[in-house]
Amino acid sequence: MKNPLFPLRAVITDVKSETGDVRTYSILLDSISYSPKPGQFNMVGYPGVGEAPISLSSIVSKGKFQHTIKSVGRVTGFIETLKEGDEIFLRGPYGSSWPLDDATGCDVLLIAGGVGLAPLRPVIQVILSKSGSFGSVTLLYGARNPEDILFKDEIKVWKKDIAVLLTVDEVLSTTKWDYDIGLVTGLLDKVIFRPEQTFAFICGPEIMMRFASRGLFLRGFLPSKVYVSLERRMKCGIAHCGHCQHGTKFVCKDGPVFLYRDVNRFPDGLL
Amino acid sequence: MTGERGFQEYSLLIPKKSFFNWIDNLRSAYRVLGPVKVRDQAVFKEVSSSADLFMEYLTTMLSPGKIFIYKAREDILKFRWERTLSIEEIKPEIEKQVIVGIHPCDTNAILYLDIHFQHAFVDPFYKARRNNTILIALNCTQVTKDCFCSSVGTGPFLKAKSGYDMLLTDFGEDYLVELKSPRIFEIFNLEGKKADADVWRLKSEKEETLIESFKKFIDIEGLDDLYMRNLDHPVWADTADRRCLSCSNCVMVCPTCFCYDVVEEMSVDIESGKMFRQLDACQDLKFAEVYGGNFRRIRASRLRQFQMHNLGYTAQYGLLKTVGCGRCITWCPTRIDLTEVAKEIQRSPIR
Repeated sequence: MKNPLFPLRAVITDVKSETGDVRTYSILLDSISYSPKPGQFNMVGYPGVGEAPISLSSIVSKGKFQHTIKSVGRVTGFIETLKEGDEIFLRGPYGSSWPLDDATGCDVLLIAGGVGLAPLRPVIQVILSKSGSFGSVTLLYGARNPEDILFKDEIKVWKKDIAVLLTVDEVLSTTKWDYDIGLVTGLLDKVIFRPEQTFAFICGPEIMMRFASRGLFLRGFLPSKVYVSLERRMKCGIAHCGHCQHGTKFVCKDGPVFLYRDVNRFPDGLL
Repeated sequence: MTGERGFQEYSLLIPKKSFFNWIDNLRSAYRVLGPVKVRDQAVFKEVSSSADLFMEYLTTMLSPGKIFIYKAREDILKFRWERTLSIEEIKPEIEKQVIVGIHPCDTNAILYLDIHFQHAFVDPFYKARRNNTILIALNCTQVTKDCFCSSVGTGPFLKAKSGYDMLLTDFGEDYLVELKSPRIFEIFNLEGKKADADVWRLKSEKEETLIESFKKFIDIEGLDDLYMRNLDHPVWADTADRRCLSCSNCVMVCPTCFCYDVVEEMSVDIESGKMFRQLDACQDLKFAEVYGGNFRRIRASRLRQFQMHNLGYTAQYGLLKTVGCGRCITWCPTRIDLTEVAKEIQRSPIR
């Protein structure tokens, strides 16, 4: 019996710098059985350094997929040193996914904060590849400042098919910024929704997801259609190591994508 | 006398002397593990003769399940850099073993770990050891001041119908031996007096008498919901701030605490390394830390996590995590008692 903690060997085929400390890694994995769904994650790392749970930031295309990773700790700091052609190791895909099948035919509202846009990007890719399968699609995206906006070039392309509203916390006077300034929840008043037939997928800092979810409920969204993606410390990804426990849930197995109403009552979170 | 029906009806009174002879004969094919007296404590360890067994033990600091099945430390992978990086899986070493004299709480703890490590994903180390370990449970004859198994359905007599191999009950000169698995039926070859109605009545009386001697109780009815309504009850902060040292003793001695950390260790010449796992504890400050925050930075939240996981949160696996062994109380340097904290909330709920 193969140990589920044994990592798969993959190769980095491209590294693209998104912001000062965020890079998008294109990864080639030689495994035909690898078929992740939008919202799932891999344990990504390198032997001797460690592993960290990272959501996929793309769908699989021609055997390749992407991870968009902010360099913040030991593992992600090491990954930042890797170049095109280097090996990277991963296990997955793990966890739950955004319920795109259920959302088919409905409106979709995506709310992202900071690098929280990365796990929602595969959703946008699926929606764009299935034109006509979804109703009105809107992305509300907030970042700390204009420099921290991810996927800037792609957002221009996305705008042809979906509504995109951007906002940042602060703008230096030297920066040109044509969009909003303020919290991402402030954008909720700028969009007209059909709340009862809209699925909301939210990913970002937990405190943002809390206020975004509450803002949506005040506007008539249904608790059965508001989803969030949680972040927790994880060592195994297979619901054994216990680090990601949130109330009765293992975020790695039962999540990371949850209905907001299923996880907001538990202690030790900001939901 | 084979098959499901056969072994379930196989309950005999066996003279202790014969039973221990049988145990000694097992040593040709199995490591025999059991309670041994070490100074003023009992410790589960390998024995070279059944004469070393201390079957009258009261309790142990560590449960046998977390010594011999789910180990405190386990090497998982080895890696080596030459021209390229090679990774080698470390296979679990398989050695047939028998654990003798496991109290009902600790037997139930192993059944709980069975669920955890063989659920959505199967841990190959746990599975291999578990499959090669024969569990001989022993009903209790005495209770400690911290035992509360009678309140949570895990003792002092074992009620589980399966998942272990044999159940012993002390009948003075004899053991009442009940076989509980097909595999033990294959290796247990002793003849004895078949248990009749008198034996079963005496067994019930022994259990009832023992239940009367318990000193600690907890009413678990509705506790899940009560905890959820009282997350801000002052007893959490009060207990944590005045008494909890975050030493993790409670977690380390808990027979059902399963959390582990994964550690990567490099050789000095950084040419080779290994990945191993070892027990971790939710009481550690870094346990729930992520970039940008720590979900359990406050000591009270860590204390609450341990106690709610044990006495609440039954929705996780559909059963209580606690087995009522009382070790977390016994070994707490300040004697924090999860049953007392729960009772305080029951006495004065804020919601």
